[in-house]
Amino acid sequence: MTDFLGYERDDGSIGIRNFVPIIATAPYANDTVKRAADIVDDAIPITHPLGRCQTKPDVFQTYRTLLGYGTHPNTYGAVVVAHAGEIVDGDELAGDIGETGRPSASINIHDEKGVMNGLKATVNAAQEMVQDASAQRRQPHDISNLTFGINCATSDTTSGLCQHKATAGAAWRLIDQGGRAVFAETPEFFGGEEDLAERAVNDEVAQKILDYVEDWEQRLQETGYDVRGAQPTPDNMDGGLTTIEEKALGALVKSGDGPIQDLVDYAEKVPDGSGMYIMDTPGHGAESVTGIGAGGAHFMIISTGQGHTLSNAVMPTIKITGNPGSAERVPEETDVDVSEALVGDASIDWATDELWDEILDVVNGKQTLSEVLGESQFAIHRIGPST
Amino acid sequence: MGDSHIVAVEPADNVATAIREVSEGETVTVDVGDDEVVVDVLEDVRFGHKIALEDIERGDTIIKYGLSIGQASEEIDAGEWVHVHNVESNYGRGDLAASGD
Repeated sequence: MTDFLGYERDDGSIGIRNFVPIIATAPYANDTVKRAADIVDDAIPITHPLGRCQTKPDVFQTYRTLLGYGTHPNTYGAVVVAHAGEIVDGDELAGDIGETGRPSASINIHDEKGVMNGLKATVNAAQEMVQDASAQRRQPHDISNLTFGINCATSDTTSGLCQHKATAGAAWRLIDQGGRAVFAETPEFFGGEEDLAERAVNDEVAQKILDYVEDWEQRLQETGYDVRGAQPTPDNMDGGLTTIEEKALGALVKSGDGPIQDLVDYAEKVPDGSGMYIMDTPGHGAESVTGIGAGGAHFMIISTGQGHTLSNAVMPTIKITGNPGSAERVPEETDVDVSEALVGDASIDWATDELWDEILDVVNGKQTLSEVLGESQFAIHRIGPST
Repeated sequence: MGDSHIVAVEPADNVATAIREVSEGETVTVDVGDDEVVVDVLEDVRFGHKIALEDIERGDTIIKYGLSIGQASEEIDAGEWVHVHNVESNYGRGDLAASGD
């Protein structure tokens, strides 16, 4: 059994960080959130363009995503900031976060009589939570508590030959010890969906995989344009990837070849059972990683070909590449360089060990490069039009 | 043993990935399953890009990982660079759906 040192939550989850997000419910609260997070050291701003004048499927998805950040295992407590009355309701969101036993506060800029008072109330609420969070101590817990997030970023042809294999190796090492892993990016199953469906634990999950892939294919066809350029992207093509199928077959390598337990919707919580799960997300990295964060993954392996700044507010991201040129070109985006397993004499087992060792350090508190640099993106995948 | 820096993933593959810079005029040996395929390289192929292992007709399936990654949009000779200029995808083709093809 492998232990790690983590933060206990009242809902039974264990965090590898003790973050205090300040969450905007709509764009009109974004500046207050950013200003408060500038003032309160260690508070994390969650801002976005959604949460108002959306159709119901988007309202549900926005709410589910924001709630996922407020109740993430790595979240100690959260401050919710609304501008006025919104369809994504600030009081309801703060209440649902509080239901998990986490400290939560709801600030309404209009009720506070404007942005200056709203800012002061937000700062005061976050300040108290950050100080309380800093007093909490890490305790030893079994590694089976952890959820391993997996995403590609600027894939190239090295991805499927090297770094994705190491990523899969480490993910299954955690699953073999009772943990779980989640990968995503449904349009990046194109061409490999039948092999993927065969890995499902039952017919229902297999059909779900095929149906979700078909749905994405339909949506892309309805645009009336060739998806090439969006998938694969120009930097994918520069790295040698020719079609979405080639990108996808490489991308699927990062899930290994073991059974798929289930497919969950965007930003839905990843189930507690051990095993490999899929989340339905677009190939758009920031949107995909944002969804996986809401699903509760503790950390994220960004398996990249050409290097990428992709990172997240509540999930530390560990970036791994097997492309020696990328490791040299963007060192501050390379936490783990396993290119020796591609162009040198090292094995994939060695690459897996390198990644696993870094994961154990990070879950115990070592900051990743993107954490040190303060890099993160937040982009909720939207479904329909604004109204 | 073939060149370890030109990789065919599965025996059925008709393209291989260069993980070094490959130059026009080279003769390379590629391990494809249990076979060794010898190819005269017809043009420079950059790190990460693909080389045709056999002659491929227009409309033929391009196979990598043992599965289709698209189809040849023109005739491709063994040793040619295989990329977006001579391969089309079979997915996300809203353009074909719109034109009724």
